[in-house]
Amino acid sequence: MNDLSNAQKAVGADIAVRSAPYFPRRKKAITGRSIAIIAFLSVCALFFCVPLYVVVVTSFKTMDQIREGAMFALPNVWTLEAWDHAWNSACSGTRCEGLKVGFWNSVFILVPSLILSIGLSIVTGYALALWNVKWAGPFLFVLFICAFVPFQIIMFPLISMTATLKVYGSIWGVAIIHAVLAMPVLTLIFRNYYKDIPQEIMSAAVMDSGSFWKIFVEIILPMSGNILIVVLILQITSIWNDYLIGVTFGGMGAQPMTVNLANLITISTGTVRYNDNMAAALLTAIPPLVIYFLVGKLFVQGITAGAIKG
Amino acid sequence: MTFRWSRWSPQLALVPAGLVTLVAFIGAILWTIYLSLTRSRRLPEYAIDWSEWGRQYERLFKDDAWMISLQNLIVLGLGSALAIVFGFVLAAMIDREKRGESLFRTVFLYPLAISLIVTGAAWRWIFNPELGAEHFIHSIGLTWVNASWLARPETAMYGVILASVWQSAGFYMALMLAGLKSINSEIWSAARLDGVGMFKLYTEIIIPMMKFTFVTCAILLSLGVIKAYDVIVAMTNGGPGQSTYVPAYFTIQALSAKGNLGFASAAAVMMLVLTAVIFLPLVLLTAWQQRRSGARA
Amino acid sequence: MPRVSFEHITKNYGAMKVLDDLNLAIDDGDFLVLLGPSGCGKTTLLNLLAGLLDITDGRIMIGERDVTDLDPKDRGLAMVFQSYALYPTKTVHGNLKFGLSASKLPREEIEKRIAWAARLLQIEPLLHRKPGQLSGGQRQRVAIGRALVKNVAVFLFDEPLSNLDAKLRTEMRLEIKKLHDQLKSTIVYVTHDQIEAMTMATKIAVMNGGVIQQFGTPDEIYERPANLFVAGFIGSPAMNLRQARLSVAAGKVEAVFASGVRLDVSDYPFAASPQDGAAVIAGLRPEHFVLAASGPVAASFTVPVQYAERTGPDASAYFMFEDDLLALRVEPDSAARLTPGQSVTVSFSKGKANLFDARTGQRM
Repeated sequence: MNDLSNAQKAVGADIAVRSAPYFPRRKKAITGRSIAIIAFLSVCALFFCVPLYVVVVTSFKTMDQIREGAMFALPNVWTLEAWDHAWNSACSGTRCEGLKVGFWNSVFILVPSLILSIGLSIVTGYALALWNVKWAGPFLFVLFICAFVPFQIIMFPLISMTATLKVYGSIWGVAIIHAVLAMPVLTLIFRNYYKDIPQEIMSAAVMDSGSFWKIFVEIILPMSGNILIVVLILQITSIWNDYLIGVTFGGMGAQPMTVNLANLITISTGTVRYNDNMAAALLTAIPPLVIYFLVGKLFVQGITAGAIKG
Repeated sequence: MTFRWSRWSPQLALVPAGLVTLVAFIGAILWTIYLSLTRSRRLPEYAIDWSEWGRQYERLFKDDAWMISLQNLIVLGLGSALAIVFGFVLAAMIDREKRGESLFRTVFLYPLAISLIVTGAAWRWIFNPELGAEHFIHSIGLTWVNASWLARPETAMYGVILASVWQSAGFYMALMLAGLKSINSEIWSAARLDGVGMFKLYTEIIIPMMKFTFVTCAILLSLGVIKAYDVIVAMTNGGPGQSTYVPAYFTIQALSAKGNLGFASAAAVMMLVLTAVIFLPLVLLTAWQQRRSGARA
Repeated sequence: MPRVSFEHITKNYGAMKVLDDLNLAIDDGDFLVLLGPSGCGKTTLLNLLAGLLDITDGRIMIGERDVTDLDPKDRGLAMVFQSYALYPTKTVHGNLKFGLSASKLPREEIEKRIAWAARLLQIEPLLHRKPGQLSGGQRQRVAIGRALVKNVAVFLFDEPLSNLDAKLRTEMRLEIKKLHDQLKSTIVYVTHDQIEAMTMATKIAVMNGGVIQQFGTPDEIYERPANLFVAGFIGSPAMNLRQARLSVAAGKVEAVFASGVRLDVSDYPFAASPQDGAAVIAGLRPEHFVLAASGPVAASFTVPVQYAERTGPDASAYFMFEDDLLALRVEPDSAARLTPGQSVTVSFSKGKANLFDARTGQRM
C-alpha cells in the first residue's frame, strides 16, 4: 500500500515535471481596467470631436435645414453653397468679397513674418549661444521676461511707432510686429538648441574661418535642420491663427483671415447665415489643421518648446 | 588691444534684437506707464498733473466693467484650472494604457492647432440660443436643461470656460505626459511589487514627483488667462452687457472703442502688474535653480 | 631663434588665477608635449596659444610675430581637437576645404592641398563621406588632415588620442611621430598620458597647478626629475620615494634610511655640497633594482615579498620595506619564483638614485 502510494506520488511528480514546460501560456486577455480606461478616453475623445463635427455638418447644410434646429443631424442635402459663399461673398465689415481676401492677406503676411521673425531670432540665438558676447546673461534674462509681457502694455507705443514708420495698416507692419513679438521666445528656443553644439566644433570653426557669418551659414545653419522645422511649424500656426496683431495693425488693408472670420461671426445686423459662418471657420482652420495632421509630433514639440523655454 | 573685426561682428549681430528689446519692449512699457499718469484721451498728452497722478487708476478701480473684468479673471482662472486636472487625468490614463496612445493624443491636441477665433465661432454656434445644442436637448425631451449659456450674463463665463478647457486640455495633457514619461520606470515596478494601490500611488508618489510640471502648468495657465482675448471676442464680445469682460478685453476696448488712452494705459499697467505677480515665483525659481547648479559646478 | 615662446603669461578666470607668470620657449621643429594631470592648466595654455582664450597678461610670440592680440585664424596655427570637432554636415572633403576658408587661396591650390593631405593620411576613399559614417580612427585622420592642409608651421594637438582604443592609439602615436619627422613642423601637444609624452616628444613641459614643474627632453625628465612632483608623476610603477638622512664621512656620502639601510650616493652630482644629517627623500626607480647583484651596488638589503604581478612582457614585484610597499621591476621568470612572505635580497644599482631636499621637494 505504502509502496503503491509512493509510486503514485513519484509518477505524479514525474508527470508534473514533464508537463510543466508544456503548460500553454494563456493569451494575455484585456483587463477590465484597460477596457474602462479606453472607454473613458473614447468618451473624452468624442467630446473633443463634437465641435468639429457640428461645424463640419453645419457648413454643408442649407439654411432651411439649419432653421429646423437639429444641430447634430447630418445634412439632408450636402451642398457646397455655404463654402462658396464664405469664400467669395461673405461680408467683413462693409466689404463683401468673401474670405478669400483675408486668406490671401494671411498668406502674404505669413511669408515676410516668417522670414523676419526667424531670421532675427536665429542670428540672435546663434550669437548668444556660441559667441563670447558681453552682457549675454542679462540680455537673456531680459528676453525671458519680455517673452511673458502682455501685449496690451506695448500696444499703443507700437501703433505709434508703426504709424511713424508709415507701415501701419500694411502687410509689412503686421509682419514686423509678428517678428518683434516672437523674437524673445524664438531667440530663447534657438539659443537653447545651439547651446548643445560642442564647444570644440566652434573652436575649430573659429580657427579655420573666424568669420561670424561664414560659420553661421556653412556650419551652424546646416546643423539646425530639426529646430528650424519645429520653429517653422510653431510660427506658421501661430501667425496664421493670430487675431490680435492682425486686427490691431492690419488696419483696413491688411486684415488676416481670422479678422474677417471674427467680423463675420460677430455681425449683428441682418439674418445670420450659420452655414456660411461655419464654412468660413473651417476655411480658416484648414491650413493649420493640415499641418497638424501631417507633422503632429513636430507641432507638439514646437508648442511645448514655445511654452517652456527654461 | 587692437581692433578686431571678429570681436565685433557677434556684438553687431545682436544690435537688431537689442534695439527691438530696448525700443519695442522696455521703451514701450515705460511709455505706456508714463501715459497712464497723464490725462491722455484720444491723443497722447504728455503733461503730468502730479497732484493727481493716480487719477486714471482711481477711475479704473471705480469702473464697474474693470471690477467685473477682475472677477471674471478669477472665475476664468479657476475654471480653466480644470484643463490642468483634465489634462493630467488624460495623460495618466494614456500613459497607463499604451493602446491607442497616438490616436488619443492626436484627438486631444488638435484644438490647439486651431485659431481661438475658430474655436469661439464653433462654441458660439453650439451655444446658439435658438438653433444650438439647447434646441436639440429640448427636442429630445429634456426641456428643463438650459444650454444657451452665452445668452445669459450669469452663465456666459461658463461657456467661455468650457471652450477654453476644450482648447487647452490637450496642451496640458502633452506637458503632463512628458512629465510622466520622465519618471523612472522602476517606480512603477517597485509600486507594483509593494502592492501599492493605484490611487495611493498617484496621490502619494507620482503627483508629488511631478510638482515642477504642475507649477509650470499653473503659471502658463495663469499667464494665458491674463492674455485671454481672442476667445472672448469670438464667443461673446464681452457680452451680454459687460458680463464677460476680462482685463485683456477691457484694455483694448478702452483704447479702441472708447478712445481713452490714459485710462487704457492704466489698465494695461495693471495687467503687467498681474503678470509680474504670477511671473515672479517663476523668475525666483529659475534664479534659485541656476544658483544651485552654479554652486555645484 | 625660438619659434614659439610664452612670456610672462598670466591667465585669470574671474578671480581665479590659472596661470601665473609662466615662461616657456621652444625651437623650430620641436615636438613639445604639455604633460600634467587634469586641471593643471595645460589645455588653458594651449587655448591661449590658439587664441581661443584671451590672455590676461603677458605675450605670445610665434617666430618674430607677437600674436597675443591676433585672431585665431591669423596666427598661422592648426589644431586637432580631442573630440575631432569635425563639421557633421560637411563631407570629409568639405571639412578639409573649410579648414582653408580663412586663407584666400585659388581653387586649384586648395584641391591640390586636399589631395596631398588625403594621400598622406590615406583617406582618399573617404573624401565624400560624412563624419558620421567614419570610424574613430578615420575621424582622427580627417581631423589631422584638416590641420595639415593649412600648411602652417605650428600644429596644436589637444589630447587627440584619448578617444581611441589602446591599439589604435599606439598606431596613431606612431603616425603622428612619423608626420612630425616628415614635415619638420613645430608641434605643441597636450596630454595626460606619459607614454605619449615619452614616445613622441622632443621636449616635455610637466605642469602642475598652473606651474611648469620641469621643462626638458624626455630623457632629462625621466632620468633627472627636477622635483618630487615630476618624480612621482613620470614612470609606472611610480618611483619609490623614501625619507632618509645624509651621512657625510671620509669622502663617502650615504643616505641612511630609518631601518639603517645605507645607500651609497658618493657619485651623486650634488648641486651644493651635501650636509651631514640633512633630511632628504631618495627616489629609486623600480627598474634600477636587481635581485641577483653582480658588480658594485649602491645598497643591498633583505626584504620580504608581498606579491608579484605580471604585465605582459614585464613583471613587478612588491616588497615590504619600512612599513611601505617598495616596487621593483623584475624579470618575469624571477617573478614567478617569488612567493609571498619569502625574504629576498635586493640591490640598487650604483649612480641611479635621485635625491630631493625633504623640505623643498627640489632635486639636490
